[in-house]
Amino acid sequence: MNEEYLDQVLEKSLSSDPGFILPADFASKVTQTIVRREQWKVDFREYLLYSGVTLGLIALVSGFYFFIDQNNVTQAVSFLKEHWISVAIILLLLNFIFFTDKVLLRLLFIRWNEPEKIVFRNRSQHTELLQNNS
Amino acid sequence: MNDAELISQVLKGNTNAFTFLVNRYQKLVVHITGRLIQRQDELEDVCQEVFLKVYQNLGKYRSECKLSTWIATIAYNTSINYLRKFKKGDTISSDELPFASNISDNNKAIDFERTDLHQYVRIQIDLLPVQYRTVLTLFHLEEFSYQEIEQITGMPEGTVKSYLFRAKALLKEKLKFVVDEGSLKKVKEITHE
Repeated sequence: MNEEYLDQVLEKSLSSDPGFILPADFASKVTQTIVRREQWKVDFREYLLYSGVTLGLIALVSGFYFFIDQNNVTQAVSFLKEHWISVAIILLLLNFIFFTDKVLLRLLFIRWNEPEKIVFRNRSQHTELLQNNS
Repeated sequence: MNDAELISQVLKGNTNAFTFLVNRYQKLVVHITGRLIQRQDELEDVCQEVFLKVYQNLGKYRSECKLSTWIATIAYNTSINYLRKFKKGDTISSDELPFASNISDNNKAIDFERTDLHQYVRIQIDLLPVQYRTVLTLFHLEEFSYQEIEQITGMPEGTVKSYLFRAKALLKEKLKFVVDEGSLKKVKEITHE
């Protein structure tokens, strides 16, 4: 048995491409996935920003009441107090709509639009599909 | 564009730079992952997970080692975690080496006359324990040094050398088993390609 030949065959086989295949658009698919995954964070930050603005407005009205004109604010508050259930429901509803619009719907839309995963039974089936596509 | 510039662009939020990075290193990742998990249908998902981790941790990358070594480490760890999670029966422990009987059985099943020698070696590599497949891939296919393989896998350099030696000895033994004098002609043809 020629040892040298066996060594050469082995070396060549070990350094040759093992033939594992990824789709041609793999890199762009990965990037799209990352962009999608990062997007919900941006949406959530936006939601927090708007919530902060709302709280800021409330603080402004409170400031107005305590330091400038109590009467107008008292009248408005008494109106709100009389209809506090309706006001609370409207506020919760608005908050829910806002949260849904900015976070939930976008997240669900992303999930629903995840590319369909194709499961190949073996490597040759995958290769065949790639060849057909090209 | 070199790796440092590429990283800087990705960290600035340039998604095209990240696509470029994936294109540059996807072969490295697919070789390591493919050899370890051995499932074409799961390969894309695991490779994607590797690159997601690369993206999430790129800010923590320090240029103490090459970017390829760092990415290979992530690919290795992700693949090992995948094996632990989904293939509990796989030979991850270095003490378990139940390959000899497997290989012998498979040898009998393979009609060597109709099988390319390279293909035969590939099949035998797939039958090796995961540590052997890892060091063979990193050293021969990706041409990492012993020190780099140590960084990637966490195995001591001596163990890496030992695994390499033993894996090659096993493969050679299996080659001897199938290559008789008549087949040497075919071997010569392949080596002179």
